[in-house]
Amino acid sequence: MSKYGVSITELREEKYLLDALREMGYRPEVHHEAVPMNSYYSEQEAKQAHIIIRRHELRGAYGDIGFVRQPDGRLTLIADELDAYRGYGERWLGHVQQLYKEKQTLAMARARGYILKKREVIQTREGQQVRLQFAVRR
Amino acid sequence: MQDKTIMITIDEQGHSTLDLEGFAGRSCEKVFDDFRGGDRLSIERKKPAYYTGEQVQQEKSQR
Repeated sequence: MSKYGVSITELREEKYLLDALREMGYRPEVHHEAVPMNSYYSEQEAKQAHIIIRRHELRGAYGDIGFVRQPDGRLTLIADELDAYRGYGERWLGHVQQLYKEKQTLAMARARGYILKKREVIQTREGQQVRLQFAVRR
Repeated sequence: MQDKTIMITIDEQGHSTLDLEGFAGRSCEKVFDDFRGGDRLSIERKKPAYYTGEQVQQEKSQR
């Protein structure tokens, strides 16, 4: 082994985020300019997002869930705090990141000529892990 | 010569672990950067093979 690293997935590429959300069964809206989201508290200042999943698609959620494009290019989650306790917290976001990272990795590898040798899904105490093995084209 | 393999493990907590085998020096860095993408690194460790390979490459270029 020559190098080892652990990184935190950052959502930057809209295409793979949309693919991930669609795989989870949602039909996300995409807006060039951020638009208002629906919230549980009507008196709250409306939050705005570029990518939105409307609450009617989110079972048990109080508000919409959105992603906002930050000045540094990252897409960050925006949601009602209450929904973190309704199944749309860190664990939900982690699943989005997992699907995003797999799709992004496979596309990058294809484009740069790496060869996918194996894909495995492993069940651990912390949840599912996706393991991809690649080789270098000689 | 050892085969060059890349293993990436993606968990449900938003982390990915990248493990490169058989690479050395600059080629290792390039592959590592390709697979890291724009992600923020929380741990990075170079293994002995990384330096051994680089030394061999340097020796060759000095001849």
